[in-house]
Amino acid sequence: MSGQTSPIFGNLNWNVTPYTDLLRDVNSSTIVGAGAASVLVLGAIAGVAFLTYMRWWGPLYRNWLTSPDAKKIGVMYIVLALVMLARGIIEGFVIRAHQATALGTLTAQESGLVAPDHFAQLFSTHGTIMIFFVAMPLLIGLINFVLPQQLGARDMAFPVLNQVSLGLTAAGAALVMVSLLIGKFGTGGWTMYPPYTGKIFSPGEGVDYWLWAILISGMGSTLTGMNFAVTIFKERAPGMHMMRMPLFCWTSLCVAIMLIYAMPALTVSSLMLVLDRYADFHFFTNASGGNMMNYANIFWMFGHPEVYILILPAFGVFSEISSTFSGKRLYGYTSLVIASMSIAVISFTVWLHHFFTMGQSAGVNIAFGIATMIIGIPTGVKIYDWMATMWRGRVRITAPIVYLTGFFLLFVIGGLSGIILANPSIDYQVHNSTFLVAHFHNVIIPGVLYGMLAGIHYWFPKAFGFRLCETWGRRTALLFVGGFIFTFMPLYVLGLMGMPRRSPTFQNPDYMPWMYIAAVGAVLMLCALASLFWTFWTSYRNRLSLAVPGGDPWNGSTLEWSSPAPVPEWSFPRIPQVTARDDWGEAKRAGDPWKAPERYCDIEMPANTAHGLLIAAAATGLGFAMVWHIWWLAILSFLAIPGLIALRGLRVIEPKIITAAEVEEADQRFRQQVASLAPATRADEETERNRGVPDISEFAG
Amino acid sequence: MTKPNTGELDPQDNAASEVRSYAIGFIVSLLLTVGAFAAVLADLPSTWAIICICIAALLQIITHLRNFLHLSFSGGQSREDLLLVLFSVSLLAIMAGGTWYIMSDLGGRMHDGGEAGHAAHAMPDR
Repeated sequence: MSGQTSPIFGNLNWNVTPYTDLLRDVNSSTIVGAGAASVLVLGAIAGVAFLTYMRWWGPLYRNWLTSPDAKKIGVMYIVLALVMLARGIIEGFVIRAHQATALGTLTAQESGLVAPDHFAQLFSTHGTIMIFFVAMPLLIGLINFVLPQQLGARDMAFPVLNQVSLGLTAAGAALVMVSLLIGKFGTGGWTMYPPYTGKIFSPGEGVDYWLWAILISGMGSTLTGMNFAVTIFKERAPGMHMMRMPLFCWTSLCVAIMLIYAMPALTVSSLMLVLDRYADFHFFTNASGGNMMNYANIFWMFGHPEVYILILPAFGVFSEISSTFSGKRLYGYTSLVIASMSIAVISFTVWLHHFFTMGQSAGVNIAFGIATMIIGIPTGVKIYDWMATMWRGRVRITAPIVYLTGFFLLFVIGGLSGIILANPSIDYQVHNSTFLVAHFHNVIIPGVLYGMLAGIHYWFPKAFGFRLCETWGRRTALLFVGGFIFTFMPLYVLGLMGMPRRSPTFQNPDYMPWMYIAAVGAVLMLCALASLFWTFWTSYRNRLSLAVPGGDPWNGSTLEWSSPAPVPEWSFPRIPQVTARDDWGEAKRAGDPWKAPERYCDIEMPANTAHGLLIAAAATGLGFAMVWHIWWLAILSFLAIPGLIALRGLRVIEPKIITAAEVEEADQRFRQQVASLAPATRADEETERNRGVPDISEFAG
Repeated sequence: MTKPNTGELDPQDNAASEVRSYAIGFIVSLLLTVGAFAAVLADLPSTWAIICICIAALLQIITHLRNFLHLSFSGGQSREDLLLVLFSVSLLAIMAGGTWYIMSDLGGRMHDGGEAGHAAHAMPDR
């Protein structure tokens, strides 16, 4: 990055790639950097070549990228999240590998696999990716897929807006990915606190990558939240009162509310930092009346609800699977609803506990410390409810139940260390140490990751028509449990020994045994990641023996299990008339659940459109141009977005009509197939005999 | 959701009562605006004038929400809308109030004694 800004290429030049660094100086750090960039480039080339070879560009464009179908959008969100998860876990592994080699001596104080600046980029991208581009798309994708089906709706309230949200999230993810190859990422951690991230201390493009990725994807998340909320309030099937909604819908509602009210805070704090960096404002500078503490304040006003945005969908998943795989009705439905809603509201009142040690007086700290401890109560209620749901049930140890068990054991430890940290005086001792790192990984991995993976395993047959291999599913789950324990339990010890988080190097040899254990854990996490992808691959290869055309492989009780697998675009041939909580289970109890509707009507579905794709392209252009100060491209992309919206507003858009005859034909075929398949008992659930038609005499949920 | 709640007016709400509601809202708003101006023009001490204007403004907002935007505790849709507004207001109050609480405390501790000490103390928010 040399002095002048070119009017055409902005700050871009040939010296911004990690290859330049490698040419300048060959060491392990530059090799890792250039290697990561090469993986990105080769991966992109391989992907393009593969799609071209398989002639999949057309189907990809027609069936997926331009589809406004919430179910497909959900799947695309999850695919995006899994790609980013791979990068995030590999980065985590590099972080652990670095620290396992980072013991410095008095003479050579710096040591380890990567350079300190590179290490700072690693933990910054790791955090940013894991929160914003793994956890968020995972949960938003899962909600997109499941929510309309559970509510008895055919689609989201705003299908095209949904597409735009996905596009914006993908644009943000693309910016973070591009930063591997072009330029550097910020070094301020995933929170990017000023004044360090202000223009004076971080002049380069790194913080800008973060800012624009967050701004763009954050807008997408806000819009998603509105979409979810409107869908839940307006699109429920007739008879689906609020208190008849499955618990996953309730937690989705909480998530929607929190997205709507929390995401704007992040947008505001990021925009203020953008103004500081681009337009010489002084919101967070040290001089000229700025106050950097306000950044921490606004950021965590978003950041704490965000934690519960991440965890609540997992709680919803656990509510569904604990009931289904125990063959029992969910224990304490009302208490779970109240607990979820309490969490959603209380989560807005605790944000200061993220910066207890940043200078407030004791009174302020105590107020927020107490609020923080209170939020543990509804969470505890939920854990007991799930345990009571499983109590004396006939629990089948499927992969989701392995995740659930791991969650029970580990999440409670994470929650308890959270209660410890909620005490400001203890927080003063362990803040900014790896104790804290261990704590939040301890709630996020067993909570969010296990929950989302359990949910993917649970609903996968609904999306693709075949089950995931249970053996490999359980292996993956056990590897994630083991990997977590080995990686993060040592960090609790290290934190108590006084090791600061984000240390590129240290001089205390006592840390080393724990570092090695953590590195072993990181290897296990890598194995878990490989095992996860292997599960998908091996299940795909065995898809015929794992096929569940009957659509109800787990003897479920919520509406989505009444449709075939894979679920057709229209989900339900007729919008169901809901008469009870867990309506599908009620139908099973009444006798013949697979009754065909009396008559069929034409179904209106939103037509395919490239709107979301175009907006995503414009947003990516805008972000990239702003990062590199390519003003003409920035102005063009910025104007393109309202232009595209106006253009769509000017056109008459006809919905896609699926005729009654077509629906009738497909639905009759499904009913006949169900009648011809032999019902599978619980004992046969994992075998080839499970064709998605359960033995309803066994249903007890 | 047994009936569509798309914000349609209830059929039993006839036009006359609609008009009356708007008219009352308009007159009350007008009176409150006049009242606020009167508070400024009258020889009240400035504290009292500000208090009067604030009260008039709050009442004005409530009138608008009630008579023009149809928010009330009765009736399905308007009740839902009102609860939504109240929920939003309470969350915003938590955020704004919390910010004021935290930043004034921090402002007092950060800037006291510095050159900007007194200014910061007088305006704790920024």
